[in-house]
Amino acid sequence: MPDVLHTRHTFTAMGCPCLVEIESATPLLGEAVARRCEVEARRFESKYSRYLPDSITTRIIEGAGSHAVSIDNETSALLDFADVCFQESNGLFDLTSGALRHVWYRGRDSMPTGRCIEQALERVGWQHVERTVGEIYLPIPGMELDFGGLVKEYAADALVNLARDAGISHGLINLGGDISVIGPPTGEPAWSIGISNPESGGPPIAFIPLCEGAITTSGTYERFIVIAGNRISHLINPKTGYPPTSLLGVSVVASTAIVAGSLSSIALLMNEQDALQFLADSGALYLASTSGGEVHGDYRDLAGSTSH
Amino acid sequence: MRLQLKGRGQKPLLALTSAALALPAIAATQPVQTELSVRASRYEEDSVSKRQVLSGSDQRYEIDVQQFYLLMPVARDWSVAVGLAREHMSGASPWGTVKGIDGDSALIMTGATIHESRTEVSTTVTRYLKNSSLGIGITHSEEDDYEADAVTIKGDWDFNDRLTTIALDFSYSSDTLRPSAALTFGRVPRAEKQTRSFGFALTQVLDKFSVFQAGLSFTESEGFLSDPYKLRDVRPETRHAWSVNSRYRKYFVPLAGTLHVDYRYYTDNFGIQSHTLVSRWHQDLTEILQLVPSVRYYRQKKADFYLPTDDFALPLNVHQSSDHRLSTFGAVTFGIKGILKIDDWTVTASFERYLSAEKYGSTSADQEHPGLVSFNVASIGFDLRI
Amino acid sequence: MKLVALFVLLVVAGCQSVPSWERGVLARSDMQLEGSPTEALLNSQLYDSKEASAGGLSAAGAGCGCN
Repeated sequence: MPDVLHTRHTFTAMGCPCLVEIESATPLLGEAVARRCEVEARRFESKYSRYLPDSITTRIIEGAGSHAVSIDNETSALLDFADVCFQESNGLFDLTSGALRHVWYRGRDSMPTGRCIEQALERVGWQHVERTVGEIYLPIPGMELDFGGLVKEYAADALVNLARDAGISHGLINLGGDISVIGPPTGEPAWSIGISNPESGGPPIAFIPLCEGAITTSGTYERFIVIAGNRISHLINPKTGYPPTSLLGVSVVASTAIVAGSLSSIALLMNEQDALQFLADSGALYLASTSGGEVHGDYRDLAGSTSH
Repeated sequence: MRLQLKGRGQKPLLALTSAALALPAIAATQPVQTELSVRASRYEEDSVSKRQVLSGSDQRYEIDVQQFYLLMPVARDWSVAVGLAREHMSGASPWGTVKGIDGDSALIMTGATIHESRTEVSTTVTRYLKNSSLGIGITHSEEDDYEADAVTIKGDWDFNDRLTTIALDFSYSSDTLRPSAALTFGRVPRAEKQTRSFGFALTQVLDKFSVFQAGLSFTESEGFLSDPYKLRDVRPETRHAWSVNSRYRKYFVPLAGTLHVDYRYYTDNFGIQSHTLVSRWHQDLTEILQLVPSVRYYRQKKADFYLPTDDFALPLNVHQSSDHRLSTFGAVTFGIKGILKIDDWTVTASFERYLSAEKYGSTSADQEHPGLVSFNVASIGFDLRI
Repeated sequence: MKLVALFVLLVVAGCQSVPSWERGVLARSDMQLEGSPTEALLNSQLYDSKEASAGGLSAAGAGCGCN
């Protein structure tokens, strides 16, 4: 058997630290694959970032209330996936909830008024979006669309498949906490994925073994906002216009990062009890931390030993 | 508020997972990459032993083949493939077989070295649907004395979560022969043949390391099936052939290698029956280099009307042929191939040695046909995927 | 055809499910049934012109007069 060489490649894309860790027989191949992964990650960033003037997201938003925008197959497929998420979450997972971000923004010194939220809600609603083959139209002026909740996860899956196609059979892709792996590391049963403490973001509360598939972790601890002294989830319920009193953190294991990520996003858009019920019924493996400090889910035994 | 998430009786995980499979980077049935291949091959037959050549040249065939292939995804769910092959052949070929001085069969070879070339152009358009694909292809092949046009229709259906695939194909080919120097040698000046073939194959993923395929095909040829260049060669005007095929692939994790086993049983109304067994081993040497030794064993039983030597006393309407390809024989091929993958490129170099002899066959033939060939094929190919 | 149908059922019934994320090995190029298209075409034309059996294991091409 040939010796195993590890290639670790880090970079920043899509606003978060990214890591490509792969095993290969030659450094040449490992580095070549890692470089291609970075190029692919940057392709997703430049294609879907809402902060870039030429991105497809920006063009779709610019057409809101005025014209339909033509989109490519990949974007169309992502929108199809988002549609399934919308159906499965009973309307909670909504790519058009962007207008609410302008109401619940970081640094705001008072809680928004009900009237202010109602106005924003008029510009929210996936059901209003008009789609024809190869085109999308946001019919309400000021309406927004954001792929932020999907692209990072989708990119993790794409990078894993790219590496796998290049012949890599052991590797890990971590795009800001969205992790997708190819096989276990050589000589070990699985990758050990550390789950940060949801209250502090400090030392891991559990290590979840993963040998194939993906794990995504999200929580209010890492991206909460504080308004008038209240710690608020960055995810806003698009139906009520208010942030839920959600779980502190949730990690989901599934076949692909996009599936795991959408399940954890949906769970965080719910109140704690609904979220726990949703996760238990979802069919996926998960670990959830409540604001009361409880740990739930398939991996709670793994967390038990370190949380006390 | 009680959420009605399970209203449709399907768990969100399943719904989302199947939706994710439609995303291009996660699972794509249609090719998402453009594939370009070029290959150059040289085929060289061993020369026939001088003792067995009664007349003509003892130099046998050499063929140089250049191939080009391009597969491109088009629009959302179409692909177009274009293939081009050019062959240049030179050498002599058996003209007839007679009893030699020592009582064994001897060959009359064509006198001068023949130079021929063949060009084949093919194109296939494939439409991909959610769980199926349908392709239509046409092929045109042309050489000085032979022209063939074929159309192929092929359909694939996968079900059982893409673990099972059924494929059906049909092809029709119409060939025209215009033998050279027909008048001088009393050959048929123009002849035609039509071939229809039907195939069925079932592919099944057995587990995460193995795949199996079983197939059945039927081919029917009608028209002029004889060899116009032989002194006396009279074959039936219809040929019905059946073949049963199976293919198996298994990856062995501890060995980092993949085993291929292919088997075919063939039978037709000429009375020929044959068995073909091919086995290959793909060994990963490094992440970028693979070595593939292979062995192929073939054996056939002769056609009912095969004669070791031409019988000029038989009436012209009685079937007979001394074509060595219709005799009882067997053949063994040993091959070695190296596959190097660098970035988007794959470089393949291979060498094969083919040995055919009566003694490799199962039943003993009356006599070994002196025309049985042994040959070498060396090939180098470059494939680019972008 | 009945035999074929029975065979199909037997094969399908005897197999385990392979989740999509465990199909990495099946996607390897050496796990494909058909090798490279140029190689398949070359082999079929080579053997079909030297032996009496044709079709089946190789991709169908147009007839050739390589007698």
